[in-house]
Amino acid sequence: MTIDWSWIGDHTDDLTSLTVSHLQAALSAVFFGLLISLPLAVVAHRVRPLRGFLLGLSNVLFTIPSIAIFVLLLPISGLTRTTTVIGLTVYTLVVLLRNTVEGLDSVPTKTKEAAKAMGTRPLRTLLTVELPLALPVIMAGVRIATVMSISLVSVATYIGDGGLGQLFTDGFQRDFPTPVIVGVVLTLLLAVVADALLVGLQYVLTPWKRRRA
Amino acid sequence: MFELFKNLGKWLTSGAQWAGSDGIAHRLTEHLQYSLIATLVAAAIGLPLGLLIGHTGRGAFLAINLASFGRALPTVGLVVLVFLASGLSMWPVYIALVALAVPSIVTNTYAGMTAVDPDIKDAARGQGMRGHQVLFQVELPLALPLIMTGLRLALIQVVATATIAAYVSFGGLGRYVFDGLAQRDLVQVLGGAVLVAVVAIVLDLGLATLQRFLFRHRTA
Amino acid sequence: MNRRTLLGALAGTAVAVPVLSACSSGVTSLDGGGSAGGGNASSKNGVTIGTANFTENQVLGYLYAAALEAAGVKTKVRPNLGTREIVFPALKSGDIDLLPEYQGALLTYLEPKSKVSEEGAMQNALTLALPAGLQVLPYGTAEDSDTFAVTRETARKYGLTSLADLKKQNGRLTIGAAAEVKTRQVGVVGLKDVYGVEFKEFKSLDSDGPLVKGALKKGDVDVANLFTTDTDIKANDWVVLTDPLNLIPSQHIVPLIADRVADPTVRKALARLGNLLTTAQLTELNRQVDKDKKDPEDVANAYAKQHGLTK
Repeated sequence: MTIDWSWIGDHTDDLTSLTVSHLQAALSAVFFGLLISLPLAVVAHRVRPLRGFLLGLSNVLFTIPSIAIFVLLLPISGLTRTTTVIGLTVYTLVVLLRNTVEGLDSVPTKTKEAAKAMGTRPLRTLLTVELPLALPVIMAGVRIATVMSISLVSVATYIGDGGLGQLFTDGFQRDFPTPVIVGVVLTLLLAVVADALLVGLQYVLTPWKRRRA
Repeated sequence: MFELFKNLGKWLTSGAQWAGSDGIAHRLTEHLQYSLIATLVAAAIGLPLGLLIGHTGRGAFLAINLASFGRALPTVGLVVLVFLASGLSMWPVYIALVALAVPSIVTNTYAGMTAVDPDIKDAARGQGMRGHQVLFQVELPLALPLIMTGLRLALIQVVATATIAAYVSFGGLGRYVFDGLAQRDLVQVLGGAVLVAVVAIVLDLGLATLQRFLFRHRTA
Repeated sequence: MNRRTLLGALAGTAVAVPVLSACSSGVTSLDGGGSAGGGNASSKNGVTIGTANFTENQVLGYLYAAALEAAGVKTKVRPNLGTREIVFPALKSGDIDLLPEYQGALLTYLEPKSKVSEEGAMQNALTLALPAGLQVLPYGTAEDSDTFAVTRETARKYGLTSLADLKKQNGRLTIGAAAEVKTRQVGVVGLKDVYGVEFKEFKSLDSDGPLVKGALKKGDVDVANLFTTDTDIKANDWVVLTDPLNLIPSQHIVPLIADRVADPTVRKALARLGNLLTTAQLTELNRQVDKDKKDPEDVANAYAKQHGLTK
């Protein structure tokens, strides 16, 4: 299995646009995943009976093969980017929901009571006390969800999308390893870079953690 | 949507659908075979690795980073790559599934080991226990809950992903998903997906029960 | 003639033209065939070309793109979307506008029981069978049929030369093809209906790709569904089984297009390409993509340039 280096040189434009499209799909999924999980996690954190149900539901969704989710979405959103993003979002929910709930759980009751005693309203407490304190655990979830989404985007190549995943089906059909190797390497690089950026973001977002160190 | 689920009921309960080489019974067996073999091999690689790193404390940085690297590996790409290298065989499927499962097992085993209170380990050594005795009689039992979490996570991922075997001409429940896609037969796709989910959940519950049994055994 | 009758007359022509053009359309018609396209059809906002999941369809998609771009139409190609079963609904729903199709295969997809096999008649049948909003443009010169092939050795061993011979081996042979072929008329269904053939097993593989060819080579399957434009058939000395009962219809390449973009510019550009591209040329283009690992896009653009479609 040899790499055709000239192919890579000839395809820098294509590779760039596929990488951008790949990243866009993964990040959109994490974004929408957060948008859905944050309120759900607050509900699961406060309403005990719903907690098991919501976490259980997200776990069940996780057991469904991603390709099946994409295909089952076809009658609804067709061969579009929307299908890819919805499918990926479903998968991010497991990690994001669980970590956000655990993050909220980890906030000491005393802290919340102190906020209450000072007359802070519940919503304000949530936004200014609970969520910031839960941030490290939530960010851990965001990091896993991001890496997972980046790795999963390629499955959408079976419905004509999939960013770098298109290099896999292409290489497969033509018995041509170069695009496949390039696709795998770029996916891994994307994941590493995205993860590093998130670590940096977390550093910026949690200044109180730095002082301690 | 209602129509789809009604047809799913028919699909799942028809006797003809269960029989033969393309029947549910056969595909289910294949799927279990792929998933269990891959998870066992992954456990055989990941458990010792995680235990060793956790016990000695050496190579942790490398192992954890490799594991998160592994989590980013696109399964489709890996399957195709091994296929192009090895031709029409089961290798692409097994290698991709094992690569998928090893990271969860290593990281959770390692996490379980590091969570063991150093004082307890010191106490065990103080009582004259040797390295391997500390590992197997103290650390391992205490790390077991997290180790089991890792195994369960790995198994769920492998069962869901074993669908990919169908992409490179093999069987398993993925056959229904990929064939259903090609034929735009959504009932078949949904049927395959539901069966995969059921297999994953049943196996997970099985491991959970095993875990509970192991604990009772230890505390008794 | 008052305004109403004038409008009526215009509408009448608009309706009558597709039928007429369908009859007269074909290799020689360069006018792009008339149709209801005149009214609201416009390619001003560009045309999205979808392609199915095999090499040749992608080559054709990029050839369409090259031809349209040369005529000043903006295009976007979406390669490798899936099987006809997946891509056709996407055309209906508007995710794509144009699709390189094959006359017979498309017709049997729309009308599995259709017995029509002559090119012109098929064009009429297609026009009748297509849902509102979609139409086929004049078919091109190039053809690519489904075939069922066996290795030389298998042919000798079982005495196979035609599809009819397969019946003698009922229940003994394994067929390999893409999953959709199991439920298609030009596939397992038709082989049973027309030739009474029953296989021991159907193996879901791919559309004339590495799986089906690999399996045929290895002996994992006895009969394989391939395309006539694949140079591997000759290279491997595989035997293409003849089709005495005409199960496999004529397969001229034909653009399937949404009415909304089928304006005269698009029609003419595609008719020009259809008239130009021969089966041998298409076969060669496929080979360059599969064997020389050239991009379908580059291969298509080079062809368009070489043959004066673009400058």
